[in-house]
Amino acid sequence: MRFLKEARYSLHVAFHPFDGFWDLKYENKGKLRIALVILFAVTVTMILKRQYAGYVVNFNHPLELNSIDELKYIVLPFLLWCIANWSLTTLMDGEGKFKEIVIATGYAMLPLILVYLPNMLLSNVITLREASFYYLLESAAAIWFMWLLFVGTMTIHQYTVTKTIFTMLLTVVVMGVIIFLGLLFFSLIQQIVSFVYTIYQELSLRS
Amino acid sequence: MIIKRSILVLAALLIAAGLSPKPAQASPYEGYTYSYWGEAVQSPIAYLPSKTVTGQELGIGQWTAPNDIFAAPDGNLYVLDSGNGRIVVLDSQWKAVRQIQSFQNNGKQDAFKNPEGIFVTADGHIYVADTENRRVVELDGSGVFVREIGAPKSEVISDNFEYFPRKVIVDKAGRIYVVARGVFDGIIEFDSDGGFTGFMGTNRVQFDPVDLFWKTVSTKEQREKLIRFVPIEFNNLDVDTDGFIYTTTADKQTSAPVKRLNPSGIDVLRVNGNIGPVGDLSINRSAFIDIDVSGNGVYRTLDSTRGRIFTYNEDGNLLYVIGQLGNQAGTFKNPVAIESFENRILVLDRDLGRITEFTATKFGSLVGEANGLYSIGKHDEAAKLWEEVLRLDANYEMAYIGIGKSMLRQGEYKQAMNYLKLGNDREYYSKALTKYRREYMREYFGTYMTACIALILAIFAVRRGLRLRKGGLKQDAVS
Repeated sequence: MRFLKEARYSLHVAFHPFDGFWDLKYENKGKLRIALVILFAVTVTMILKRQYAGYVVNFNHPLELNSIDELKYIVLPFLLWCIANWSLTTLMDGEGKFKEIVIATGYAMLPLILVYLPNMLLSNVITLREASFYYLLESAAAIWFMWLLFVGTMTIHQYTVTKTIFTMLLTVVVMGVIIFLGLLFFSLIQQIVSFVYTIYQELSLRS
Repeated sequence: MIIKRSILVLAALLIAAGLSPKPAQASPYEGYTYSYWGEAVQSPIAYLPSKTVTGQELGIGQWTAPNDIFAAPDGNLYVLDSGNGRIVVLDSQWKAVRQIQSFQNNGKQDAFKNPEGIFVTADGHIYVADTENRRVVELDGSGVFVREIGAPKSEVISDNFEYFPRKVIVDKAGRIYVVARGVFDGIIEFDSDGGFTGFMGTNRVQFDPVDLFWKTVSTKEQREKLIRFVPIEFNNLDVDTDGFIYTTTADKQTSAPVKRLNPSGIDVLRVNGNIGPVGDLSINRSAFIDIDVSGNGVYRTLDSTRGRIFTYNEDGNLLYVIGQLGNQAGTFKNPVAIESFENRILVLDRDLGRITEFTATKFGSLVGEANGLYSIGKHDEAAKLWEEVLRLDANYEMAYIGIGKSMLRQGEYKQAMNYLKLGNDREYYSKALTKYRREYMREYFGTYMTACIALILAIFAVRRGLRLRKGGLKQDAVS
């Protein structure tokens, strides 16, 4: 029952973002587990959407669908966003803790589920001519999500509007930097491993 | 004992398996098409090499660097033996009927010099693009000189223009179209009297933003050193029965190497989907060097990169691919010209001086027949043939679309949707869905509405009941 109540609060946040995110931070109404549940649900929604969206709007090659890939497209960007946002806002006088960032970002993703799921069902009965309606709803969901993310970031860190926009853009850049560093790190590790292995091979063959 | 016996049985089975007939016919190449997703999908071989012929085999001496062939409607095959400057005419049995080595031009003996293109009109007149003599020569059916058409003369042509006609065609109205080397303005058009009327079907210059950027930042001296931006020249052409001209360009960058020009020079080639008729979908692109139009809007292009022949239907769907570069019979070293006659495809190999004939397999003729019916709108008759095609190749998307369209016309909307989905035709799938949706709603509208109204009534009743009970409880509490 408590879980349901918490889940219902996420709806309140989606429809009344200023009020909702404020309470989420200062009244401790946001729960980490709800944010993680939403993250999981978004992942499942995207998997379902890729597979079951109507043929008219579904341009995925069925042989190339892979549910694990959704980790790459949803969970990884989510984590990157949270980490990048946290690293940035700690330097830029943001008031948000890492947990609060995760919760706010998670709650902001709720519209994706709310719109994508019914839209997916709808897409099965629409024709090519009505497909623009599908895409309209799709972009509405994306804009709603961005709006919530914007309000969330602003409230969590107690920023002004311009500073929020600036921070969000910078966060995207930092995400790119993190990816770059990650790739660099892995490629170096790979080279070290292969170097050690070559030495081992050399020694074992010579002896 | 049991082991011994089972070994014997196994050995007998193996021998029997070894004796069983080999695959129907070994082919020097593999058949494939491209799926909607751009993946090469194996498919049965549509045409198999049936015979080859060279000049030596005919006893008339080797063909040296022959450049073009033409299959006339009467079954004769004209071979342009460029190196020897002669035309060899073969009949339908591939016997050399006659040779044209020279002709009387105004009382003087005249001959061809390295000609590259030949065309024969319906009444048997032979047009030769006599490349190094810089003229087009017309001979009548018996090889007697009729006229010659020299370089086009006009104010729009610069004075240092060097005219080297490479290919020539003549349309029904007698207009002569010439593709010349190094001409970027398009096809040179002459009227039936041989007077120059203009260029048609110019290839557009490709716009590249990267090039534009470098051009704007470079100095004047640097700019002059850059390669000049010129349109790509045509390298071959053919004309269909309706008078549309099909052209090819060997450029590997263009996305439209094939054009279908209407009489006013506008490209009206139909392209289905995103990918036009470009040949192989690989990084090393196909380079088309000849095109042949056969009936029902089907055209075949000859690719010099891999020596393949791509056959497309009028909607630009790839029907099948045959041929390959190689050393076996049925493969080529340097294919230069393609012609088709009835159910046969003829390919000329310049380096080997050899013509290879391909005849349709069961699959090839089925596809051809089905596509023929399909293109004239006889979808129901075509559907029966498409079903046979599917029995030979369950991956053939065209067949699914064909059957789907037929079912759509017959009112089998649900089935049509299935087939059109398999064939990846979203447009017609959507049409079938519209019809199916309407039919479904008409049938079940009453049921759904009744259920809906019943549900609403039920909800009202339950809520009212609850309220009454609540009210009753309150009253109880009060009293």
